Amino acid sequence: MSIELFIEQLEALAQEAGKAFSEAADSDQLDLSRVEFLGAKKGRLKSLQKNMGAVPGDQKKIAGMKLNAVKSLIQEAFESAQSRLSSASSDGQPDLKFDATLPGETFHVGRLHPITQTINELKDIMGRLGFTPAEGPEIEDDYHNFEALNIPRAHPARDPLDNFYLSVAETTSGNDSALSGNPLLLRSQTSTVQIRVMENTQPPVRIVSLGRVYRPDTADWSHYPMFHQIEGLMVDENVSLADLKTVLKLFASNYLGDEVPVRIRPSFFPFTEPSVEADYYWDGKWVEFGGAGIVDPNVLRAVGYDPEKVSGFAFGLGIERLCMIRHQITDIRYLFTNDTRFLHQF
Amino acid sequence: MIVSWNWLTEYVDLAMTHDDLVDRLTMSGLNHEGTDVVDKDQAIDLEVTSNRADCLGHIGVAREIAALYEIPLKIPNPQPATCSDSISQFCSVEIEAEGACERYTARLIRGVKIGPSPQWMQDRLRSLGIGIVNNVVDATNYVMFECGQPLHAFDFSKIQDGKIIVREARVEETFEAIDHRTYQLAPGMCVIADSEDAVALGGVMGGADSEVSEATVDVLIEAACFDPLTIRSAARKLKLHSPSSFRFERNIDSENLNWASRRVCELILESAGGELLEGVIDVGSPSPSRESINLRYSQLQRLLGIKIPIDFVAPTLEKLGLVIESSDENSVTAVAPSWRKDLTRDVDLVEEVGRIYGFEKIPDDVNVPMSASYRPKADRVVDKVRNVLTAAGFDEAVTPSLVPQPWSDAFTPWCDSPPLISSQPMLGVLEEYSHNIGTVNLLRRSLVPSLLEVRRINDYRSNANVNLFETAKVYLPSDGKAIPDQPMKLALVSHRDFFAVKGVVEALVRELNPLAAVRVKDCNEALLDASQSGELWLGEQRLGWIGSVSDSAKKQFGLRSATVVVEVDLGVLEHETQLIACHANQSPFPPVIRDFNFIMDDEVRWASLESTIRSESGPLLESVKYLETFRDETRDGPGKKRVLFSVVFRSNEATLTGAQAEELCNRIITNCTNAHEATLVG
Repeated sequence: MSIELFIEQLEALAQEAGKAFSEAADSDQLDLSRVEFLGAKKGRLKSLQKNMGAVPGDQKKIAGMKLNAVKSLIQEAFESAQSRLSSASSDGQPDLKFDATLPGETFHVGRLHPITQTINELKDIMGRLGFTPAEGPEIEDDYHNFEALNIPRAHPARDPLDNFYLSVAETTSGNDSALSGNPLLLRSQTSTVQIRVMENTQPPVRIVSLGRVYRPDTADWSHYPMFHQIEGLMVDENVSLADLKTVLKLFASNYLGDEVPVRIRPSFFPFTEPSVEADYYWDGKWVEFGGAGIVDPNVLRAVGYDPEKVSGFAFGLGIERLCMIRHQITDIRYLFTNDTRFLHQF
Repeated sequence: MIVSWNWLTEYVDLAMTHDDLVDRLTMSGLNHEGTDVVDKDQAIDLEVTSNRADCLGHIGVAREIAALYEIPLKIPNPQPATCSDSISQFCSVEIEAEGACERYTARLIRGVKIGPSPQWMQDRLRSLGIGIVNNVVDATNYVMFECGQPLHAFDFSKIQDGKIIVREARVEETFEAIDHRTYQLAPGMCVIADSEDAVALGGVMGGADSEVSEATVDVLIEAACFDPLTIRSAARKLKLHSPSSFRFERNIDSENLNWASRRVCELILESAGGELLEGVIDVGSPSPSRESINLRYSQLQRLLGIKIPIDFVAPTLEKLGLVIESSDENSVTAVAPSWRKDLTRDVDLVEEVGRIYGFEKIPDDVNVPMSASYRPKADRVVDKVRNVLTAAGFDEAVTPSLVPQPWSDAFTPWCDSPPLISSQPMLGVLEEYSHNIGTVNLLRRSLVPSLLEVRRINDYRSNANVNLFETAKVYLPSDGKAIPDQPMKLALVSHRDFFAVKGVVEALVRELNPLAAVRVKDCNEALLDASQSGELWLGEQRLGWIGSVSDSAKKQFGLRSATVVVEVDLGVLEHETQLIACHANQSPFPPVIRDFNFIMDDEVRWASLESTIRSESGPLLESVKYLETFRDETRDGPGKKRVLFSVVFRSNEATLTGAQAEELCNRIITNCTNAHEATLVG
């Protein structure tokens, strides 16, 4: 083969490769062209190189130089095409092979139970109003659950059928503890915590107690034999219904995220006098918030406070009701079935 | 209590609108629950709290309206004419059961003609939804809904020997009530009997036999006062609740018996004719006299938070039926009426004055003093626990504190004493699958069985990746303690494998205290797999348990797939928690990291190997990291394993030299070889 033909072939190849590289629409196409022209085994440049053996001996050096020049020319063309395509994929032509709408490699963040979320929110608001959380036992004695709360022996609230009175396994009858002097029971209200705190603290007192309470209702869509209460207590010199109303208004407005009117209307609880029901105005109607009142002087005396010197207010709310209204939960039993699909909603 | 608008007009002039009236009543303590239009009347449903038996009749509600609107209250004064014969010639009453019946009165009407009651009476009773019977029975109902006093009319011819005995029911005594069902009575219940049998269940329901019928000619009118507790327990035991029992349970006005009795006789005479015998049989104990109550005006402002004009106080109390004994510029002294047994103290009068004055006048924007609250450590620790667990992908569950026997017995690591038993079971809390598992009446000693049930429910519903936790109290009976121990526990149930769950516990502990390390000791709990389980320890305190659920327990709890559970004590976690982290200087020099691969017996525990590695390495050893375990029986022989781990050395003072690192490595190799017959590979 003459040197002229060899050079001609080389130049033709360089032109063809340059065209192919510059016309490549994406990196896959470019890669195909790279294999075609620059492939290490069957690439066209490689096979052209074999023709150099046929070039006359004295011209081999020139042929070699030309081959190297063309090789780097093609290489350069390839690299510039490559850089063109890589910049195109980030800010020019989109790479359709990359589907950004595919789901990410996600992970599950666990959910707090909606009751816990409600409790945390209420506790948080009360904390900002200066109320410190207080804990108490769920198994209580008759004294703290009833007696000290001014609930007399004949009061219907003490009916054995309406309470979870407790006994230990050694005694045969489950009612034993109900008959003894200071029987044990699962607390029927969180007010018991008030008593325990006041027994051990001098006024002023500002606490919020939270937790499980128990009443033997058969479970249905709106009842469950176990539920949760939040209860606030404030005792100081000259605490009045006006303080209660003010705190309830701040509390309700904070919880609902908007200033809401609050009203109190007379009611009856053994441990408060006057006793009131509190309502907040929302969505064009009054919604029951919870029970409240001025701590009964008998309760203050039971914990060793002087009702002539201090007074206080207390209020209690059912957590489940607030939680169900807020999240539009239609059956209280869903809260305690713990289906993870239910829990994942909150 | 449903009240009729038309009926109320008999006692007060209702010049206001319906809406205004029900608003005022709601705001003064009779919550309006709704109003139905019945023919030309309005039936207003008011919620009456249990302390206000006086409002279980129209007159009581009318008295509230009179006080609220400052208008006159008109109460009838029944004076029925009597004939010359005296009741005592024909009838006698004896109270044997004094505890059950405070007072009993009887009047006798002869020669009535049973027929329909007057239209106006029927209309009013219909407004209340009360069934119409005849002119005698309707009159007793009418007076009950007028003044709150239940009344009963007997067919006097059915009262053997004209003798009424108020006594306790006898053992095995049966009684057929007006509803024509037979009830099994028991001692403790109060019956009205003649000389032979029970003719009424006192305060609850009359008997079928002595019921007033078309053949009745003479009627005996009972107006009595029964003990609230006796009535409540009888009504409850027999599941026999009536408007009468409802009122007696709430402690009616025992001084109103005579008025009610005269009133019903007057109405019967008007509509059924006949003649009322002279006199009344009135037996029982007189009501105790009521003490006077002194209300200081200063208490009003102190407890209500508003200033109420002094001249508002005494007239309001009078409107409510109190009798003012004296008053001066500082206080008023008054006696409560017989129908207001709930008024005994100054604070009770504060409420009365306040509610009539209007709680809506109490401000809601007073200055409450500032006070800084704090969050107890236990609270903050539980929050951190919840944060770590939700970050680890665990959802929070809340399950009932009472469990059935099989669950109670399944896992009791914290205590050997039998569980506390509740007198009442929890009803309706089990899923259908678990219905026949037993009564839910035991206080749980562990949270794990409850979570296994939750796991089963989720498995059944094909919910994937069920990882749950709960924080709650368990109940541990302990001798000699007034109140049993109720420590807070944290339990986990997970689909993940043992080490994934153990890793969650380790991460949790690290979050609470970076320096604390969890150790595992062997344990023997039937609920857990014998090898894949252990006791968890933090320092010298037992933290709890971890383990894969054993095959038998999986079967018991209806679980199909592998499950790992954990239960730990939150008190121990709280004790170990460091809420405030402390800084330690970090070395600026690069570490030396060396990997080791030892062959050793299967019996060698990692905990023991790690302590050997650390034993003589001193402060230059920064960390030891377990990497992997391999087994290759063909190369290493049976019962052998290869353990790979990585050790990081670092000095606070300088970059470690090759020779220093070499020496530290050699020490580890020597110690591992000596202590565990371990052979270094490669």
